[in-house]
Amino acid sequence: MKKLLAIVMGAAMMLSGCGGNNASSDVPDPVEKYGSDTLKLYNWGEYMGEDLIYNFQKEFGVKVIVEYFDSNEMMYTKLQAGDSYDVIVPSDYMIERLIANDYLMELDKSLIPNIDNLHEGVRSLAFDPEEKYSVPYFWGNVGIVYNKNNVSIEDLEKEGYNILKDQKYKGKIYMYDSERDSFMVALKALGYSMNTENEQEIQEAYNWLLELNNTMEPSYVTDEVIDNMANGMKDMAVVYSGDAAYILSQNEDMGFFMPNEGTNTWCDAMVIPKNAENPKLAHEFINYVLSYDASYDNSYTVGYASTNKQVLADMSSEGGEYYQNEAYLPRTNYEKDEVFKDNPVLKETLANLWIKVKASN
Amino acid sequence: MRQFRSMAYPYIIWIAAMIVVPMLMIFMYAFTVKGNDVTTFRFTIENFGKFFSDAIFIEVLKRSLFIAVITTIICVLLGYPAAYIIAQTEGKTKMFLILLITLPMWINMLVRTYAWMGILQDDGILNSILSIFGLDVKLLHTSFAVILGMVYNFIPFMILQIHTSLSKMDKSLIEAASDLGANKLQCFLRVTLPLSLPGVISGITLVFLPAVSSFFIPKLLGGGQFVLIGNVIESQFLTAGNWNFGSAISLIMAVIIMISMYITKKVDKVENGERGIFN
Repeated sequence: MKKLLAIVMGAAMMLSGCGGNNASSDVPDPVEKYGSDTLKLYNWGEYMGEDLIYNFQKEFGVKVIVEYFDSNEMMYTKLQAGDSYDVIVPSDYMIERLIANDYLMELDKSLIPNIDNLHEGVRSLAFDPEEKYSVPYFWGNVGIVYNKNNVSIEDLEKEGYNILKDQKYKGKIYMYDSERDSFMVALKALGYSMNTENEQEIQEAYNWLLELNNTMEPSYVTDEVIDNMANGMKDMAVVYSGDAAYILSQNEDMGFFMPNEGTNTWCDAMVIPKNAENPKLAHEFINYVLSYDASYDNSYTVGYASTNKQVLADMSSEGGEYYQNEAYLPRTNYEKDEVFKDNPVLKETLANLWIKVKASN
Repeated sequence: MRQFRSMAYPYIIWIAAMIVVPMLMIFMYAFTVKGNDVTTFRFTIENFGKFFSDAIFIEVLKRSLFIAVITTIICVLLGYPAAYIIAQTEGKTKMFLILLITLPMWINMLVRTYAWMGILQDDGILNSILSIFGLDVKLLHTSFAVILGMVYNFIPFMILQIHTSLSKMDKSLIEAASDLGANKLQCFLRVTLPLSLPGVISGITLVFLPAVSSFFIPKLLGGGQFVLIGNVIESQFLTAGNWNFGSAISLIMAVIIMISMYITKKVDKVENGERGIFN
């Protein structure tokens, strides 16, 4: 619904944009200032504050064209095909690949003064240690959303990820239908690194998932998990913390648990591709997103953890939207948490194993 | 007629660009793998070996064929009477009935499938009706849901094909048969049914082909754990990024489909009294 609204609004704005480009005289002519008045943004669906684009257009007298992708791979394929965007918001490992393949422009930090607003947890992340190419947009972890009435916290603490194989909860769990997230769970449950390339360890993780598949009657879902858990359809689900924050805000029976075995710390960040037609305006947009108001709008609407430290603090403190919501604040400085590394070979191996896990029954 | 021949060229170019070239590309991908730093690719048949040596893939293939066959059978059983009834009507009634069949096709298939998710899910419309009678059935994420979704989406193709061949039929043949003493059942079995078989055969082709390679219906209605061959192909292109293996599976599917079409064509000819596979 939100997406539909965004499209309708976008269309309406485009129409209004055609009519009066210089409606407000106090806004400097964007063509003079940036060389163009159009910004092409490529973002995930349902991933922006409701007024973000509208406000940006009004404040800078420009037009924003938004396109949506639903997987990093889809975004990469389009970029490879030569499509041009000014700002893209891919995930950690994909940014690593984009940097390695020379797709990204080095950012001009002098144009992004708001970079100082970033939370320390998203500074100098592994995929871009010198912060040369990317500016974090949202971040979080992966954990288990559970129904507090049916799942005991003692079990969770004692068993960690292995609770997903506890026969007590047979037929009552959702797994996330993506190879890297599922293997992350399995590898962490076995005490290995989620970026492992060790064949023995991967094989063990495969067997772990296979056993889960064959004994627990799990449902493999992606975004449906959000509504389904908010409606309390099952007792446990492996969920991204941002989605979990939304689930918890909708259904007070639900809790969020991050296993002690460690988890994935992920980060989606804004980048400017080399073939961007309007890099100056792209810098302006990135800077704008980091401002307090825009970050607040983003985090408030979407429910994912803001990368703006002030917003993050305000949202999670008393009176904030996500006060006492245990899924909102990402876990930082925990040594067993990792960030995904880009490894196309490993990804292919896992994808093949994952389809086999799902196909066997 | 000669001067019209040149009008076919745009069509030939279209076919070449949109069908022949992609087919050749699938062919190329299927018989190659990514190479090393020296050569960008090399020719091999290992993609096929990888598929046939893995029991899980064979199992998925069998499951896909099974689901597609069931879907096709149900479509014939439901579609034939529907087409027969429509063919009996005339004028506005007929147009209205045809409209009813084609109307859902104006809406995107994906949207209609999402609607079924809403109907079938655990707290969905159907289950809330069933719960009045104290029944609680798991409908979504079962093979029932997948087959239902496929039958629903593909049955118009079956009905329209059969209807076309039924309405093209010369009605005087039935009158002649009745004159010669055939009763209604005999008329149907000896005249109508054989004459409508070409429609049934093309209907079967049009249902079986999309059913066997469908990937979003099993994904949405069967859940992530319901894997058909289309899902394996999809995962090879979208997540595994192995276009070679994906193409090889597509090619295997294409061959299976061609063989099944060849067999149905042969059966069709036997039914029409021509030379078939067995004589």
